[in-house]
Amino acid sequence: MKLIRAIVRPEKVDEIVDELKQAGYPALTRMDVVGRGKQMGIRVGSVHYDEIPKVMLMIVADDGKVEEIMGIIARAGYTGNFGDGKIFVSPVEDAYTIRTGSREL
Amino acid sequence: MKEIMAIIRPNKMHATKEALVARGFPALTAQKVLGRGKQRGVAEELTFRIDPNLVDLNGHMTYVPKRMLTIVVDDDQVQEVIETIMATNRTGAIGDGRIFVLPIEEAVRMRTGETGPTAIK
Repeated sequence: MKLIRAIVRPEKVDEIVDELKQAGYPALTRMDVVGRGKQMGIRVGSVHYDEIPKVMLMIVADDGKVEEIMGIIARAGYTGNFGDGKIFVSPVEDAYTIRTGSREL
Repeated sequence: MKEIMAIIRPNKMHATKEALVARGFPALTAQKVLGRGKQRGVAEELTFRIDPNLVDLNGHMTYVPKRMLTIVVDDDQVQEVIETIMATNRTGAIGDGRIFVLPIEEAVRMRTGETGPTAIK
């Protein structure tokens, strides 16, 4: 299993989530975050914004589905400008459903 | 070391903290998150008025407010923490949440500079 953490544009979230749902991945957790990238925030005129609002989507999926989910997020969240975001994948060793106590996704 | 990432009901937060303290795990990080599972959000589960932004055109919720706990513990304590969280949070209804276990490579206590397992003791 892998944990996919995607940091995406807030205005693209609905589109990404809809596409994930259509592809059969309705389960996710979202979190509002602020961050900056290599460009050190953005400068609009004389005002420098160091922390840009983003949304972090977290999805845990089986290894074989990771590529597909990453592809959907990357495609639906794409604008081609700086700030489209990043996708990180980390290993998950175990997953438990609290309601049933079962050790599976 | 392992990171235990548990997504639970917000109203179970207090009970969960008490139960973890009783077992000797007072340290945790909590975050307010929004989430949905296989059921794509359940509006009936809430008794209070919900943010209109969370409701879609059909009146169903697209997301359910949840609390995410992050606890980093030694490998041999993982099972105890998971059992504590499960026992406190199981209501049997949809939306009890998930627990994920992730490997942690390194931990540093900033105050003293200790690293590794001593940093989380």
